[in-house]
Amino acid sequence: MANSSDKQNRLQRLWTWFWSPAAVLSVGFTLIAGFLAGILFWGGFHWSLEMTNTEEFCVSCHTMETNLGEYRETVHYNNHSGVRAICSDCHVPKEWQHKVQAKIVAVKDVYHEAIGSISTPEKYEERRLKMAAAVWKKMKASDSRECRNCHEFEYMDFTIQERRAAAEHQRAIDTGMTCIDCHQGIAHSLPTGYQEEYQKISEALGVPKLGEEMTFSEAKSDEIRTYLDQ
Amino acid sequence: MLQILGMIGANMLSLPGILGLAFGMMTRKWGFAALGGALIGLLEALLFAKFDFSQIDAIEMVISILIGIIACLVGCAIRRKGVLI
Repeated sequence: MANSSDKQNRLQRLWTWFWSPAAVLSVGFTLIAGFLAGILFWGGFHWSLEMTNTEEFCVSCHTMETNLGEYRETVHYNNHSGVRAICSDCHVPKEWQHKVQAKIVAVKDVYHEAIGSISTPEKYEERRLKMAAAVWKKMKASDSRECRNCHEFEYMDFTIQERRAAAEHQRAIDTGMTCIDCHQGIAHSLPTGYQEEYQKISEALGVPKLGEEMTFSEAKSDEIRTYLDQ
Repeated sequence: MLQILGMIGANMLSLPGILGLAFGMMTRKWGFAALGGALIGLLEALLFAKFDFSQIDAIEMVISILIGIIACLVGCAIRRKGVLI
């Protein structure tokens, strides 16, 4: 009882001290000290956040081995130009607010790693469609924002693209499609039933309105994917 | 749920949270602080939608306005408690 009241008094004293005027510190000293503390805190916070964007950090979990293996077989890992897109380039937004939101939402990955939701190849395959659908949904809703960090229709020179690719990109512009509408399996293997799942996502989001053009696109998506795999 | 929590955290660490707190610390008037916070929240939603109203997500806007108001009120409380004259 005495201990608890001592503790309370200590907290009260600390509270009173915290809100008392600093008689021994000048305004300049307080401002400079606060400014420096702010720089140290913000710099440290930002640096830590950037550390979680490295490939080493992403694949440090055992469950990321399957995705890593698949990604290493793709053009985003190895290509003629030597430019590489790592995990965070496609999965973490660049804008501050969206980035912080993505980092908070990623807490679920730690939880699933801890409880072993995808700890075996069988469990992984079982959840592959669900995991892929979550990413597609996010990308469709954001108009493939993360793809557009590097790729933009405006920057494409259709005259040096393969004829079919140029035609499909032109059609995508004309019909308001987004990158993920065709490039779902660009970095990871596609699960069975992905087309039906993607159709559901498109319908749920309602953008762009699905019509004949989209049906045509999905019928063609296997063809496009075979071309990309080559 | 996690999306909403993420949105709240992101707003606290960006314009509505930080500028809201700073703005709140400039006034002792609760009403003025709340109004300022709401405007800061609205400004952020507009900035992110590149001033295109059709691009504003209603939930995002409501959360940024709420965080802006709360941050400004906290700032106002700090001002009232911490500035003695």
